[in-house]
Amino acid sequence: MVSPRFSCDLARLKLALDDRLRDEAHHELASHLEQCDECRTQLESLAAGREWWRKAQSHLATRTNDDVTRDAFAADSRAAQQPLGRLPWLGFLAPSDDAAFLGRLGPYQVSDVIGAGGFGVVLKAFDPALNRFVAVKVLAPHLAASGAARRRFAREAQAAAAVVHDHVVAIHAVAENDGLPYLVMPYIAGCSLQERLDRQGPLELKELLRIGMQVAAGLAAAHAQGLVHRDVKPANILLENGVERVKITDFGLARTIDDASQTQSGVVAGTPQYMAPEQARGEPADHRSDLFSLGSVLYAMATGRSPFRAETFLGVWRRLCEDTPRPIRETNPDIPAWFAEIVETLHAKRPAERFQSAGELADLLERHLAHLQHPDRSPRPARPRRAKRRRTRRMLGRALLAAAPALVGLVIAVYAWPAKDPDNEKTKSDQREQVAAALPVQPATIDDEPHARIADWNYFDSELAQAKREIAEVERQFQRPAAGATVPLAISAEAVDAEAEAVARRWDEGMP
Amino acid sequence: MESSPTTRYSLLARLVQPSDEQAWREFMEIYEPLIYRQARRRGFQDADAADLCQEVFQATSKAIERWQARPDRGAFRPWLFQIARNVMINTLRARQRQFNATGASDARRLLEEQPAEDEESRLLDLQYERQLFHWAAEQVRAEFREATWRAFWLTGVEGQKPQQAAEELQMSVGAVYIARSRVMARLREKIEAVEGSNRAE
Repeated sequence: MVSPRFSCDLARLKLALDDRLRDEAHHELASHLEQCDECRTQLESLAAGREWWRKAQSHLATRTNDDVTRDAFAADSRAAQQPLGRLPWLGFLAPSDDAAFLGRLGPYQVSDVIGAGGFGVVLKAFDPALNRFVAVKVLAPHLAASGAARRRFAREAQAAAAVVHDHVVAIHAVAENDGLPYLVMPYIAGCSLQERLDRQGPLELKELLRIGMQVAAGLAAAHAQGLVHRDVKPANILLENGVERVKITDFGLARTIDDASQTQSGVVAGTPQYMAPEQARGEPADHRSDLFSLGSVLYAMATGRSPFRAETFLGVWRRLCEDTPRPIRETNPDIPAWFAEIVETLHAKRPAERFQSAGELADLLERHLAHLQHPDRSPRPARPRRAKRRRTRRMLGRALLAAAPALVGLVIAVYAWPAKDPDNEKTKSDQREQVAAALPVQPATIDDEPHARIADWNYFDSELAQAKREIAEVERQFQRPAAGATVPLAISAEAVDAEAEAVARRWDEGMP
Repeated sequence: MESSPTTRYSLLARLVQPSDEQAWREFMEIYEPLIYRQARRRGFQDADAADLCQEVFQATSKAIERWQARPDRGAFRPWLFQIARNVMINTLRARQRQFNATGASDARRLLEEQPAEDEESRLLDLQYERQLFHWAAEQVRAEFREATWRAFWLTGVEGQKPQQAAEELQMSVGAVYIARSRVMARLREKIEAVEGSNRAE
């Protein structure tokens, strides 16, 4: 043992941990440690307690994704890591000379982030040349990676720039910076219709007519140039502060995202809640698709909620294509029948049965507004003649599958309800809740509608496996009713194989 | 499906104090993969799992608003991580149970609910801790020379004898001891900074 006791020096160990020993002191300590158990133990516990060492070993030796099926995870990890919401996302900005700004994009000094959407981010920026604030919309880098999306972005933006109208947000410039295209618009202080609805709920009739009329007029101007918006929704309708003026934004940008998603997996286009059924089915959209969406916007203004709501993308999709929304007047009895009728006409599944032009609609809304404000001077407009409406038949699973074979892989429907209920309603509803809680697949409503899940074609295999597990679980539940169940339960489940367009497996147990 | 990256982004941009930005960033780096994996493990599709991440972020940012309004608020980071844990556990559960429960109002309820201390949340804590170590390792690795890092990894993680590692790395055994402790100390600091000091002990 050459190690003299005075080498055992706590302070020196601390310095070593902070890497603050000079070279020779470091060597000296190293050779001391080779002989002095005590100092080794001391050093290690200074670094971290025993439990830390143990945890570091057990955690770091385990790969974090080992517990997920590797293939499935690998395929999706890119999408999941799409850092849409992270702050480093502004990395494309050049540093600004002025500390008051976040950074610089081309000639614009960026001061704030206004928002972000599927296509990218919207920045508030100062335009030094014109000495005013502008809104700059930058295409998301993951979209810009697709040449098709980039070109579309530029083309649509240029087309939109040609529309000059009071109710359409003007486009000052379309440019590109380091491969990232962006467009420059006036900065509009105010909020979107979506924000307004979130805050205040349904609007007054006069106000919603005023807004609806302006949106219709803006759309008419764009349609006249051959431009279809494709994504008319409350979030794209801006309400300017102070003035009662409405402006539509984001013309044609929805298409940019479509382009990108064709070339890059993992890009999910936004919610289809305000889409027209023909768009949801992937069929070509025309100006009448915008009118359907405007119908949904009017509906939302009247009731405070969008007409085709469901928990999942597919739920919305199914409702769009099949359902008639709940009548407006059931939610808001203050809305007159003629207004509800206008919305219903806009919501015709067949474009030919809707209003045929935005101008026609703008005009009608304007005359209704005039009548409301001056009933004595302006007559109430007559009901417009419409193409004869076919009653939309409610289609069930199979027809739905036939409609979109490319999208749909598999439908699982689970029905569950107490069979042959005795006279006690309370028991019945309690029972339903119990059943609902016990089932792995939640029936959308236990009474009638099945919970249907439609899988993307690409997920067919994993979805099928999952479905089998779930249905097996339902079977098990059936054999072992939920605790406290006193009424026999009926459960029906079916898995539909869309490729074969046939019911692959089916259970009907305890059905009357 | 109602929420979009929009909400997530703009809430961040608006709510977060510049001084807390780092905490948020870390929070998302650690939590996003964690929640995503948990959701996938429970059979969620990719898009649903991504939605779930967003739900957690959204609910958490809502809580931040209330926290910022509190005069007696303490340190941001420990608070954030505690809230996030509760939200994550409750959201995962709720989403798994009630596919048809709706609405943003649920977010608030989810926040107030304390998760039950059961097997499931213990498992989740374990996953979280694992994610935290991996994240911290990734963060601090660049601060060290490769040999220093390897000395830690070979002996601390892969369980090699210091002599063996010393040979492989062509450094003295004593230097291996110093190196691995330096890395460990940094790892601990990094994790403690996120967690508050008493979690991993």
